[in-house]
Amino acid sequence: MIDFGFSVNPSSRINLDAADGEKFHRLAALEPDALKCMACGSCSASCSAAAFEDTSLRRALLSLQNGLSDDAAKLLSHCMLCGKCTMVCPRGINTRHLILSILKIYSL
Amino acid sequence: MKNNILVIGGGPAGMEASAALSRMGYNVILAEKEKSLGGHLAKWDRLFPDQIPAKQVLDSLLEGIKDVKCFTETDVNSINLLDRSYNAMLSNGITILADAVLLASGFDLFKAEKKEEYGYGIYEGVLTNADLEKAFKEGKTFSPAPMAIGFVHCVGSRDEKAGNPACSKVCCATAVKQAIETKELYPDANVYCFYMDLRMFGRHYEDLYLRAQKSGIRFIRGRVSEVSETADGRLLVKAEDTLSSKPLKVSLDRLVLMAGMRPSKAGRAVGHQLNLTTEEDGFFSSADNLLSIQRSKLPGFFYAGACTGPKTLPDTLHEARSAAMEIDRYIKENFRK
Amino acid sequence: MISLITNTVHQITPEGIIDRYPNSYNHFVLPFVIGMTFILVYLLIGLIRILYHLSGEDRLKLLKSLINPKTAWKNIKDIFCDCLLHTKIWKRKPLLGYMHSAIAFGWFLLIIVGHIEVGLFAPRHLSGLTEGSLYYPIFYRFFIWMNPAHETLRGSVFFFLMDLILLYILSGIGLAMFKRVRSIALGMRHTTKPSLADRVALYCLWLIFPLRLLAEGFTADLSGGGFLTRPLNWVFRAFFGNELNFLPTWWAYSICLGLFFLAMPFSRYMHILTEPLLILFRNAGLKVRKPRKGFAEAEIYACSSCGLCLDACPMNTQKKNLKYSSVYFIRFLRRRNKKKVNEIADKCLMCGKCYALCPVGVNSPAIRRAIRETHNNSIKSDYSFMDTYAGSAENSDKKNKILYFAGCMSHLTPVIIKSVETLLKASGEDYEFMDRDKGICCGRPLMLAGRTDAARQTIQANTKIINDSGCSILLVSCPICLKIFKEEYSLKGIEVLHYTQLADRLIKDGKLKVSKSSSAIVYHDPCELGRGCGIYEEPRNVLKAVAELKKASKEKDESICCGYSLGTITLDEKDKAKIAESSVSSLMAENPDEIVTSCPLCYRAIRSKAEVPVKDFAEIICENIEKQ
Repeated sequence: MIDFGFSVNPSSRINLDAADGEKFHRLAALEPDALKCMACGSCSASCSAAAFEDTSLRRALLSLQNGLSDDAAKLLSHCMLCGKCTMVCPRGINTRHLILSILKIYSL
Repeated sequence: MKNNILVIGGGPAGMEASAALSRMGYNVILAEKEKSLGGHLAKWDRLFPDQIPAKQVLDSLLEGIKDVKCFTETDVNSINLLDRSYNAMLSNGITILADAVLLASGFDLFKAEKKEEYGYGIYEGVLTNADLEKAFKEGKTFSPAPMAIGFVHCVGSRDEKAGNPACSKVCCATAVKQAIETKELYPDANVYCFYMDLRMFGRHYEDLYLRAQKSGIRFIRGRVSEVSETADGRLLVKAEDTLSSKPLKVSLDRLVLMAGMRPSKAGRAVGHQLNLTTEEDGFFSSADNLLSIQRSKLPGFFYAGACTGPKTLPDTLHEARSAAMEIDRYIKENFRK
Repeated sequence: MISLITNTVHQITPEGIIDRYPNSYNHFVLPFVIGMTFILVYLLIGLIRILYHLSGEDRLKLLKSLINPKTAWKNIKDIFCDCLLHTKIWKRKPLLGYMHSAIAFGWFLLIIVGHIEVGLFAPRHLSGLTEGSLYYPIFYRFFIWMNPAHETLRGSVFFFLMDLILLYILSGIGLAMFKRVRSIALGMRHTTKPSLADRVALYCLWLIFPLRLLAEGFTADLSGGGFLTRPLNWVFRAFFGNELNFLPTWWAYSICLGLFFLAMPFSRYMHILTEPLLILFRNAGLKVRKPRKGFAEAEIYACSSCGLCLDACPMNTQKKNLKYSSVYFIRFLRRRNKKKVNEIADKCLMCGKCYALCPVGVNSPAIRRAIRETHNNSIKSDYSFMDTYAGSAENSDKKNKILYFAGCMSHLTPVIIKSVETLLKASGEDYEFMDRDKGICCGRPLMLAGRTDAARQTIQANTKIINDSGCSILLVSCPICLKIFKEEYSLKGIEVLHYTQLADRLIKDGKLKVSKSSSAIVYHDPCELGRGCGIYEEPRNVLKAVAELKKASKEKDESICCGYSLGTITLDEKDKAKIAESSVSSLMAENPDEIVTSCPLCYRAIRSKAEVPVKDFAEIICENIEKQ
């Protein structure tokens, strides 16, 4: 490539056109609860791992839908599967299976 | 001869419908299980959005039913459909043959202790919307004056675990109203509202929201996930501030749980005897949800108010009046030919 | 073996018995010989395969256990009680136990007594080198002629014994046939659907013994017989005349035996031969390491497909979920149906009831975990935060006696934490809270999900914190934590106690004084506490001291899971709720005023469905502490 003496910064804007919809469909087929989140934040608030590191299933799902799958995998990499989020989720999402499925489909 | 109409439930819906039916010339019998009429309205202090005293509304409703036969502390022991009338036996020993029945059994408040993680009944500082309203009504204040108070929206609403996936419709506005009133009582306290979505849909509700913001109330978009006790006996509340994407904790002196609406137990008992169907949320199913909300699947059996799902007070009163009109039409079509 | 047919001389023993067939052979024995040879070869290969897949360490363990007289004695006892007498089934369902022992123990006796009889009266046929040693004792009555004039008491005893044993077996077979038609009469609500091989083997098994009776009946005038076969012979002769054509029944008998042995490896009846091996492995202390090989293979073939786990499984409240029961899991595993196996492995609640009630003791939860391990253990985690975390002990300079670990779940039930603290304070015990503000998960949920390596990391981190605390007792309020602390942690000199155990001890030591209320309560046994750690009595001791204790319809090791177990991966909310309902309805059997449990998950699940108040174990004790 020709060096123009400058580089283009990656945009911080979410580009939905570039989001990988196919993988998310696969996830939703494996665990339909992936579509049920209403972003209340209960999971992140109760999360045992979130007391130490940035961990949030809510944001991971949002990142996936926005095409930022690396962010999602990072947000779940500290998860200890303790199941508190399953207990508090008002939508009854099977969070543990969802997390395992995300980690498998979008492994870093 | 005047047709007998039985109204079950003496809350706002039952009272307003009775008043309308009695004005139309029917012989109305109102059965209420509690000692006095008024339902939840009688236990409330002030009402959103204008903060008018609940007593004022209750008094004018009572004014309307002066000519109605009211039986308080009366349950419906049994009810069944005869040829085309209903035979009801009340717990006070009276049997009524009614040409139409209006069920206005309203709602029960969600039992807040069922959300174990909020510690209602375990921590003294945790109370419900009804507890706070009672305190307002009785003029009781907390002492020492609380430094920080939180309101939790959607307790037992929009919650599949609590068996109620639906929105209870009134809690947002109630929480904002109570937050404003609390702030007025304790101007130095920090007041927080933990909400999932703020549903301020009615006329002047948004004004109420703005007023709350202006008075310094903090709105945090996140559902409270657990409550524990700090070493000095305060409440440690955890939630996620979803707008800044960070878990959050805050120490509070009082936490008010906005308990949502569940179908009334007494109403369901009546419905059970007549095999009336309920929807998945436990509230009665109307003949259809658009044109005939007041009608049930049984001829001559009608609904008004929160027995068919959460309603605001104005909604309930409208429904009561329209139920009265439906009943009038039904009687005229079936009994006066 | 059957080729050594020479001109053998008829030997007349003192009992007056002679070989009717000089070469001790007839073509009808062929089906049996083929079947028997096949099964013996199959077994040998299978055994070598299983032993080959055991790790070296496990093989050594097994060898040591076989030499050790204590385990050897236990092996004999277990094989006798479990494989032959079926004492486990007797204890729960006597009629079903009788059926199993009649067939198993009866058949065993028939073989043993039959061989003794041959040994006494025609001993040369038992020697491996002579003709017919494989089949001769089985068809003994066909090959001999007995001189009625010389019948001795010893001979009559055997005739009587053999017929008695046959009758014993036939009564079992009769019950088995009846069970196929009406299983509920024998105490089973659900039974398994048999596969094709199962059917072949089953019908052969049903026919073997009636045919033996017929065959021996036909020859009883020549060979002699007991109280069953002799009268049968008279009847036959009355119908068919004195010249009986007895060969067809002997053919049929041999064919059924041969077919049974041919179908055996592909049917449920393989358990008869595999169960002793499983007992040896289990008593040697081996554990399931691979989901389909080695020990697991022995477990898989030891499953008798009896279907007792269908009634045990908490998922059976919905008929659609019956397919997730252990019996079908094992069947698909045997057929190597990977898709189905994975699906069932992920659904299971891991409550352990099927294992507890399994008459063979097939540890299917362990196999399910091994399956999960194959597809979840490779998931990468980042647990670097654990390296620097040294615990949030509140006063670390003080060496406390009790370290309280509430665990993740107890934080969602403040009543448990508050009551445990009240209880400790009331008994004047010194304690330190390990995870008031935050803490590392115990690792059991990861372990259950098959993420063994990740679990090891949390175990390591917590082990360090606990060992460094200087405590002598680790107190937990969550049975899930308890199980892994007990089984997988190496905590030096530290006793791990559940709060029900501690409360029992405090009351016995007189440190905690409680009074009895008039309330009638029922206790729900959490899976991980009861079946998981065997703690049934301590909570009951304490509860009897504070209230009147009623019984649930299913309790202790038969207790029904609350449905909210962390064991399941894919079970959805609606199915969980259904299980919770069935658990509650079992608890309400004697209409108690209150339900008490001792697990944060059970507490939440049962509260969501119960109409009566639900209390935590520590909460109800706190209500009844005697004021001083």
